[in-house]
Amino acid sequence: MKERVILHCDINHCYAQIEEMKVPSLRGVAMAVGGQEENRHGIILAKNDIAKKYNIITGESLREAYKKCPHLLVIHPHYEEYVYYTEKIKDIYREYSDHVESFGLDEAWIDCTDSALLFGSGEKIADEIQTRVLNEFGITISVGVSFNKIFAKLGSDMVKPAGLVVITKENYRSKIGSLPVEDLFYVGSATKSKLHELNIHTIGELADCDIQILKKQLGKMGETIYWFANGKDVSEVALSGTKVKAKSVSHGITASKDIKNLQEAKLIFSVLCEAVASSLREMGMRGGCLSIGYRTCDLKWYTRQCRLKESTDLSAEMIAEAMQLLQKNYDFHHPLRSLSVSMSKLESNLSFRQMSLFDEEKKAKTRKLEKTMDEIRSHYGFYKIQRCSMLLDKQLTSFDPKGEHVIYPGCMI
Amino acid sequence: MYDLIMLYKRYVDVETLISKEGRLKPLSIVWDNGVKYPIDRILEVRKAASQVGGCGILFRCRIQGQEKNLFYELNRWFIESSKP
Repeated sequence: MKERVILHCDINHCYAQIEEMKVPSLRGVAMAVGGQEENRHGIILAKNDIAKKYNIITGESLREAYKKCPHLLVIHPHYEEYVYYTEKIKDIYREYSDHVESFGLDEAWIDCTDSALLFGSGEKIADEIQTRVLNEFGITISVGVSFNKIFAKLGSDMVKPAGLVVITKENYRSKIGSLPVEDLFYVGSATKSKLHELNIHTIGELADCDIQILKKQLGKMGETIYWFANGKDVSEVALSGTKVKAKSVSHGITASKDIKNLQEAKLIFSVLCEAVASSLREMGMRGGCLSIGYRTCDLKWYTRQCRLKESTDLSAEMIAEAMQLLQKNYDFHHPLRSLSVSMSKLESNLSFRQMSLFDEEKKAKTRKLEKTMDEIRSHYGFYKIQRCSMLLDKQLTSFDPKGEHVIYPGCMI
Repeated sequence: MYDLIMLYKRYVDVETLISKEGRLKPLSIVWDNGVKYPIDRILEVRKAASQVGGCGILFRCRIQGQEKNLFYELNRWFIESSKP
């Protein structure tokens, strides 16, 4: 098999740079893009280079950021523009290959194995893309070029801004061997501490250790990251326009005020479950496992899940299960800040299922009702039909999780 | 010397011809006081970022002997103007 040429392009501090491109004078001040504090989405989503010097971290609260840099200029995000510009930039990538796989708004892999014959080596293509994005959009990107997706991503993370790193089969040991192990894809904080216990601190050490030990300690994931560290990742860059099949559907919200009791939580769960159920029905799927996530006011995040007796796509059943889970696991010693609902173990709703002896009629009725609600909403708008209970507390329930559906990094804190 | 002049982003009305192929051709710039400045010649068309902020399709134009950068950004026009 011929050696693959894979590029990973990363728009440097994406949101901040788009704002800077629109208003160049922002380049001269410490600036960050942050959520609206009034709606309690007050965290840093991106910051520019000057703000970075003040040690401002993506994901921290605006209050902490102001402590570090009192004159920080915070701009509210303009998501539609970010989606527009990042998509336009990806159009440039798509001129070089039909295999362009997005990873969030600002990152993408490009498989140039076959286009190398047309446009030259991977490095040349990377350089050309970088120059074009800078000239046409005034935005710098970092590019990693390698023979697999994992190393390409590592390469694009190595030099910022506007870096171009080529990692080949010959030089990968010297280039990435000394990087900390948590830089590797799939190695999060939990895996990192387990690896540290095994005295593995760098990617090089991970590549050299015994695969059997890793397998024993970390299971399947241990094997995966071992192969990653050795450059044996064979996953392909998806064709443009294809979508990875969803493994779960979830919706979540940071409420506009604290959630103090089960009744209030139920209101929010109702909106979220309706959205999840409606998404599932749109996809023609049912979920067999429900998990809830909740963040307390001291910003600790918990998740709990349960297997359903029977897979479902009905919001009424999900609300009941979600409430049971929350009731069992949380006593509201702190009020809650965010809630989320997720359904996994998805299966097609055409597949066979065991019918229940007693509630089939009721279920059919509920399904009909919920489908009708979907239709009314798609025709006339989300707020045109609602559960009566939604009116109990409009401040808590007036949001449309499906309408504001795109997941932007960092939004759920 | 050109770079030393302070330039401003200024949105303007532009009379535009849209060809049957869908191509845009700016014909004249209409200033706020109603005065029309016909575009004598389009020297170059390409995608570009502007030094005054924003990006889009750049039409490098000659207007009354002077070269001006006219940008089509999303759905409106702006020029890099020497007057704020």
